[in-house]
Amino acid sequence: MLKVINGGIETLVEDWPGRLGFLGKGMAPSGAFDNVALGFANLLVGNPPGEAAFEVTGGFFEAEFGLNTAIAVTGTPKAPLLNGKEIPMWESLEVKPGDVIKFSHIGQFGFRWYLAVAGGVDVTPYLGSKSTCIFGSYGGYEGRKLADGDVVRLLKPSRSLREVIGRRVRKELIPPYPREWTLRAIPGPNTSPDYVTAAGMDYLFSHSFKIQHTSNRSAYRLEALPDSFFARPDGGVGGSHPSNIIDHAYAMRGALNICGNTPVLLIADGPTLGGYMCALSVINADLWKVGQGTPNRDFIKFQVATQAEATRARVDQKKLLTENSLT
Amino acid sequence: MTQGNFNVILDSMPATETRLEVLFRQAGDGFLQMEYGRAQRAALQDSFRMLAVNDIIHAKKIKGLIETVPGLRTNLFHFDPEALDVASLIAKIKEAEDSMPTIDDVVLESRIIHLPIAFEDSETRKAVEKYLKEVRPGAPNIIDGYNLQYMALCNGVSVQEAKNMILGTEWFNSGGGFWPGGAFLWPTDPRCALVVPKYNPPRTWTPEAAVGIGGPCVFTYTTPTGGGYQLFGRTIPVFQFSQKHPMFKDGPFLYRPADRVRFHETTEADILRIHEHVHDKTDYTYRTESGKIVVKDYLAWYHSAEVQNGINELKAKQAEGVKKAPRL
Repeated sequence: MLKVINGGIETLVEDWPGRLGFLGKGMAPSGAFDNVALGFANLLVGNPPGEAAFEVTGGFFEAEFGLNTAIAVTGTPKAPLLNGKEIPMWESLEVKPGDVIKFSHIGQFGFRWYLAVAGGVDVTPYLGSKSTCIFGSYGGYEGRKLADGDVVRLLKPSRSLREVIGRRVRKELIPPYPREWTLRAIPGPNTSPDYVTAAGMDYLFSHSFKIQHTSNRSAYRLEALPDSFFARPDGGVGGSHPSNIIDHAYAMRGALNICGNTPVLLIADGPTLGGYMCALSVINADLWKVGQGTPNRDFIKFQVATQAEATRARVDQKKLLTENSLT
Repeated sequence: MTQGNFNVILDSMPATETRLEVLFRQAGDGFLQMEYGRAQRAALQDSFRMLAVNDIIHAKKIKGLIETVPGLRTNLFHFDPEALDVASLIAKIKEAEDSMPTIDDVVLESRIIHLPIAFEDSETRKAVEKYLKEVRPGAPNIIDGYNLQYMALCNGVSVQEAKNMILGTEWFNSGGGFWPGGAFLWPTDPRCALVVPKYNPPRTWTPEAAVGIGGPCVFTYTTPTGGGYQLFGRTIPVFQFSQKHPMFKDGPFLYRPADRVRFHETTEADILRIHEHVHDKTDYTYRTESGKIVVKDYLAWYHSAEVQNGINELKAKQAEGVKKAPRL
C-alpha cells in the first residue's frame, strides 16, 4: 500500500485510454492527461502502458510505501526526493517499506509527473476504467484527489523486480517539453465558410495562444478570439452569440470549443455535449502535450493535420510505448 | 489538407422532398459528425429521424465504431481510425439513410417512463434558498422561495396552468450528454412547450432528482450538482452510481435516447419514500412501458387545426409574458 502524507495540489489515479463509450451518457473518458509519460512510467516497472498510476499535478505530493516494489517517475523534469535524496527520472528503482517519496513544485518545463508502481494501483474499475473523473466525483480513489491520510492499495508486481529495476527510457526518446506546444489538429466540424471567416481560421492556425490560469482537467482555456473570427452575426435558434448552436456532441477528448469568444480545449473530464461550436480537434497522439502545458506560462499553437496523419501518429505512438524504447 | 482549405464537409446526400440534406462533417481524430440540413433548427422530427437511423446503424454492428452520440439534429460518430476508415463509415451511414427514404417511414422504438413528481418540495426549495442567500440575493426568478411562479410569468400562464403543461405532455429524450446519466427532454405536445431563461449566474447546488427547465428542455438532475435550470419540483432517482437497484444492474443510467417521460403529481412524502425504496431497500418497481412513435401519425396530429390553434394561443400568451417577466 501507499500511505499519503500530503495529497499535494492535485494527485489522481488515472489510466489510459480511460472510460470510453459513455459520451452519450454524459461521461467523459477522463484518463491520464499525459498518456506518454504514463506509458513510459508503466513500461519501466513492467506494467502494460495503460495501467493506472498516480498523476501528480503541480506538486507537493508526499507518500510512504508499505511494501517492497519497483517505481518509476516520469513527466516534468524536477526529480522528486526518496528519503531526502533526489531520484533519477525516466528510470525504474526499488523501494522498501517505510521509504518516503516527496515532490516539490514543478520544473521549468511541463506540469505533471506520473508515478507508476510495479503491478499497478488497486482500485476497483468503474465502467471499465480505473480513472478518476474529479468533475463527476467517480472512478479512481473514491472519485476524488488524494488527501493526507489516505491509504491506497497497490497490486503485487507481475514480474520479478530484478528484471525491471534499473531500466531506463532511451535518452533520445524522452519527449521534449517546450514552452510553446505545437498541437496537430483536424479542422471541423464548424469552420469556414459557414461558421468562421477564412481569416479567422488562419488566425486559429497561426496564433500562439497563452494557456489561461483558469484551466483544469475539464477545460484548457486559451486567449480570447477577435469578433472578426465569426462568419455569422448570431447563433440563430441556438442563441444570441455567434458561437452558439443547437446542442451537439463534443469530440471528447481534443475538441476546441468556442465559448463566446474564448477558445476552450475540452480534455480528460470535459463536457460531452453542449451548445457551442467546435472549430478543430487535437489529434489523439498529441493530447499528451496539453497535459504538460502549464497554465499562465505556456503557449499553444495549432497545426493542420489530416485523419491519415493522425492515424499514422497513433501507430507511431503505440510503437514508441513498448519495451523496445527501454534500455 | 493544406493550411487555408478548411472545407470540412467530407460528403453529403442531397435534400429530397421528404428529407433534409445530410452532411458529413470532419469532427476530429476518430470523430465524424452527421448533420441534417445547414440551418440551425429545433424540430423534433429531425431527432426522430436521427434516432431511427441511429438504431439501423447500431444493428449493423460496425467493427471499429466505439459509440454514437445523438443530439437534436446531429449525430457524432466516435470510431477507432485504425480499425475503421472514415469513407467506409460514411458508406454505412448512407446505406442506413437510404433504407429510410422518407420521414413517413420512420417508426421509432420509444419507451414511456412514468415518473412521480412533487411540485415545490422542500429539498429543492433548499437549493433555491441557498442560491438566494449565497449567489444572487434578490434574484428576480425567485418568487415566494421558488421558481415556479417565474416560469408561469414568463409564459403568460398561471402556476396551475404551468403545472398542467408539465403533466400534460410526454417529454421526449433527444439524447444524453453533458452530465452523467442526464437526458434532454422535449415536450411532444407543442401546446405544453414552456420556454424559460436559465439562471444567471448558475446555482452551486441542486439536490438529486430535482426537476428543472431551461430554454425549452426539461432536465431531471441525476446527482447533486450545480445547474442553471429553473426548478419546479422533485422526482424519483433516475441514476444510481452503485447500481444496487435491479433497474440499474446493466449500468447506472435510467434513460435511453428516444425514451418519453410522463410526470404524475404526488406528495413529497411519497417521493421521499420512493427514494428510500430505490437506494436503500432497492425494491421499488419503476413503471415503464414499451412503445413506438409513428412519425407520420405524429406529424399529421402536429399539423392538425386543433394543435396549431393551441400553439398560436400559447405563443400569444408567451409574447405577453416575456414583456412582463423580469430578465435574468
